[in-house]
Amino acid sequence: MRRLFLVGCAALVSISAVAQRVEVRKSGEGKISINLASYRTGGDTASRTFLSVLKADLNRSGYFTVTSTGAELNVAGSCVSAGQLKADCQVYKVSSRQRLLGKSYKAGSSDARGLAHRVADEIIYAVTGKKGMAAGKIAMVSNRTGRKELYVCDMDGKNVRQITKDRSIVVGPGWTPDAKNIVYTSYKRGYPNVYMTGRGKPLSSHGGLNASGAVSPDGRRLALILSRDGNPELYIKSLRTGLLKRLTRTRLGNEASPCWSPDGNHIAYVSDTSGSPQVYIISRNGGRAQRLTSTGSENVAPDWGENGYIAFSSRIGGRYRIAMANPAAKSLRVLETDWADYEDPSWAPDGRHIVCSRTASYRSSIYLLDTLEDSPVALLSGSVDWFSPACSP
Amino acid sequence: MNKKACKFLFFAALVASMATLSGCRSRNPSADMYDDNMYGDPLIGDVPLNADNMGLPMDGDRSLFEPVMFAYDSSQVNPEEASKVEAVAKHLNKGKAQGVIVEGNGDERGSREYNLALGERRALAIRDYLISLGVDPSIIQTKSLGEEMPASMGHDEDAWRQNRRGVFAIY
Repeated sequence: MRRLFLVGCAALVSISAVAQRVEVRKSGEGKISINLASYRTGGDTASRTFLSVLKADLNRSGYFTVTSTGAELNVAGSCVSAGQLKADCQVYKVSSRQRLLGKSYKAGSSDARGLAHRVADEIIYAVTGKKGMAAGKIAMVSNRTGRKELYVCDMDGKNVRQITKDRSIVVGPGWTPDAKNIVYTSYKRGYPNVYMTGRGKPLSSHGGLNASGAVSPDGRRLALILSRDGNPELYIKSLRTGLLKRLTRTRLGNEASPCWSPDGNHIAYVSDTSGSPQVYIISRNGGRAQRLTSTGSENVAPDWGENGYIAFSSRIGGRYRIAMANPAAKSLRVLETDWADYEDPSWAPDGRHIVCSRTASYRSSIYLLDTLEDSPVALLSGSVDWFSPACSP
Repeated sequence: MNKKACKFLFFAALVASMATLSGCRSRNPSADMYDDNMYGDPLIGDVPLNADNMGLPMDGDRSLFEPVMFAYDSSQVNPEEASKVEAVAKHLNKGKAQGVIVEGNGDERGSREYNLALGERRALAIRDYLISLGVDPSIIQTKSLGEEMPASMGHDEDAWRQNRRGVFAIY
């Protein structure tokens, strides 16, 4: 077997990743200070919630520091609640009086959080030219009810909603590319089948294992793991015709966790044919797979971001850490985290942050990691487990 | 290539030894035997499964047969465990049950999705052995539970050893 070791030495390869990061860091010069002190709200809860969520979103974005005195940017306007919520928003550069954004937004009176997330992303885009993450959603699994059910929350860990009531086991959720539905594995009919929200019939229910369903960027195909031919292998299923294409033939090993490249031409997945689970890349047309990872005792749960980087969980020195590799640039970087286990990374819609699970003392919570300089933030934690997060695109 | 060839030869040798061993009850193995993947991974997967699992029996009686234990990160049915599978084969071949759901389980280490595949491979390794003993493939269902249904809730070697198992649910 020809193995292409794209990733070699961690110390050396971090250089190219850094080169790209420096640009972001310099253009922001740390953080942009933004002042919302003159922004007006009514006395009602909704408009005040709007302002506090907006400030928190801007702080969490990594690009801004919200201040109430002297800043580079000034946000003027008001949010009023009259039947529905209406937010006017103007963003000025203090030095040049240049207006970067001037818009009016509306939402239902109960959607102050959603409105704030939208406005936050608009401000981030107007100022930095980059996509924000505030309006994204996180799908995840929790044992809160005693069973493992599917949940969704906002990118700030708030607005948690239970999606399934299968009373069985939900595993490995992921979003459809339109961010409207979630594909997941459930045992609600006894066997592990792949389901999609808003659709009663399973997407896949072959004999044996049906798992790790991932919809292609064009929405037409499902990459998944099936054991229908006698061993767990990677397949692609056409969502229109139902036709299956088998991509791997590894009768000595397992495949797991497929994810699509942004252009939909490749799939990164986990295989243990080398003796330990490692990340491989294969063309959607099949053929020979290329091994991506070689450092760490195991590398699992890849997620291929729009930014070209594959984030995965790497077992280094007995604990799981989040790593990111760029197959084109042949780079690898391991994110700085504490002693806990960090697993199941998922790129946030901004392409800068990674949402993952953090497990400490056998308790899992959902964390937000910044691939630049900010410290990890706990999004969801408590007396139950939250795990397997997946960010909407 | 070498490793693969080695594994294949080992498997061939194992099948041969299983054939001679079948029927005789093996002694209780020492606990250490399960700590290493000493038998490598089996070459499995040339008998297709049932086309669809909708409508198949979802559950069965788990109290009739002992679970098959596995080494860490291995889906090989160790010779010490083979007699457990043989007892199930005998039961099914005598027509004493309609069929069996083989549930593959793993310990909590490793990613959930990888453990799902590993659990399935354990169930399939047991299935392959049942088939080799003459059991009709269509009455063997495999169900991987990955790390989702541990037998022991502990977090130590002892708990992990108990959790790496294949359970027979007879229907």
